[in-house]
Amino acid sequence: MSVPVSQMWAVASYVMKQKLTGRKRYPLVLMLEPLFRCNLACAGCGKIQYPAQILRKHLTVEQCLAAVDECGAPVVSIPGGEPLMYPDIGRLVETLVARRKYVYLCTNAILLKEKLEAGLFTPSKYFSFSVHLDGLRAEHDEAVCRNGVYVQAVEGIKEALRRGFRVTTNSTLFDGVSPLRMREFFDEMMDLGVEGMMISPGYSYSKAPDQEHFLRTQRAHDLFSAILSNPNRRWRFNQSPLFLQFLMGKQDFECTPWGNPTYNVFGWQRPCYLLQEGYAASFTELLETTRWENYGRRSGNEKCRDCMVHCGYEPTAVNHTFASWRGFRDTVHATVTGRF
Amino acid sequence: MSLEAVVDKAFDYRGNVTVVKTDGSETVGYLFNRNRDVPVPFVQMFDVNGAGPYTISYLEIRTIRFTGRDTAAGQSYAAWLRAKEAAKGALHAEKDSGRTPPRDA
Repeated sequence: MSVPVSQMWAVASYVMKQKLTGRKRYPLVLMLEPLFRCNLACAGCGKIQYPAQILRKHLTVEQCLAAVDECGAPVVSIPGGEPLMYPDIGRLVETLVARRKYVYLCTNAILLKEKLEAGLFTPSKYFSFSVHLDGLRAEHDEAVCRNGVYVQAVEGIKEALRRGFRVTTNSTLFDGVSPLRMREFFDEMMDLGVEGMMISPGYSYSKAPDQEHFLRTQRAHDLFSAILSNPNRRWRFNQSPLFLQFLMGKQDFECTPWGNPTYNVFGWQRPCYLLQEGYAASFTELLETTRWENYGRRSGNEKCRDCMVHCGYEPTAVNHTFASWRGFRDTVHATVTGRF
Repeated sequence: MSLEAVVDKAFDYRGNVTVVKTDGSETVGYLFNRNRDVPVPFVQMFDVNGAGPYTISYLEIRTIRFTGRDTAAGQSYAAWLRAKEAAKGALHAEKDSGRTPPRDA
């Protein structure tokens, strides 16, 4: 695993503290969406389809910080929209880092080189660019519906690494992905020198333009087993090994929808990062008034049936690590051996 | 269709709507939230200029009209698919023209 020890310790001590205080529901990663505007319109994305006045809106830095404080999660992920289009992204990241939050800026990296050259960011162990890459050049450009984006992203990654930044990648996998090509992609990312990779099946957003290529559960297990069996020892993943085992069908987890709560211009999204069933005015209201029993695979909710996305199941995997000796042993074993 | 059903449809719609109130006034904008699980059910929306959020109780709503373009209709994706097909077609045409000797050769 490639997560730095300090980050692992911060998350582990946070989880232990929640358990010791008997807190039943707690967040691990705040998904902070300062804007919905994006410079891409990807086939599998259901996040950006809004009227112009909504796309023009963005949170203020103060609103973002208030949400971070209210939520209290040790990790803040900044997706969007494209966060590099957020006018105050430099100040937001700087302030979060000063508060010792581990920040992942999720970007398509089209603007990354330009922003780095403008001196917008400073390297820190608390700050990582998480670059969206859904595969090698042909596959990625296809996924984002624009030629040339893969090359731009790789240029951005190289520049960020050259300047001493932490860089990870995040890849969303859809039906039809070639396991062999994904393995080649992992090799290429390791050659580039990224710190680690994150992978997840895509969610079947009802508003996504392409409705044909979302993975169903068994196909997802087959695909991730084909990709991750006999992993190259060089591969490093910036996520829980138990989550990777879950993707392969080796772990039976239930969703933790409150694990990665989402805050954006509409408020606290109910119930999770993927489903939009309403908004709460405060994080407390979200936790206390959402009917959590209606979500997750065992709930029978059709919208959750085939979902295996990291925002719901990675918190479960992390919790599993600290919930029993077996979970802890499994995590340590996979981390040490590099096998899932 | 009941008011609750119309509100649900408007909530799911990714375009601007016009909320017609019982007093005859209208608010045009994006309806992003609705909550029926409270003593006074309400919707929330940003108007066409992005101002708001405005909270309107169900009791104040006469009906909702779907007056804006549905931004989830997938135009950009359709355009990408069309461009890909056109590029493929052009490639095939190029190959075909390379294989076929000119008539007067």
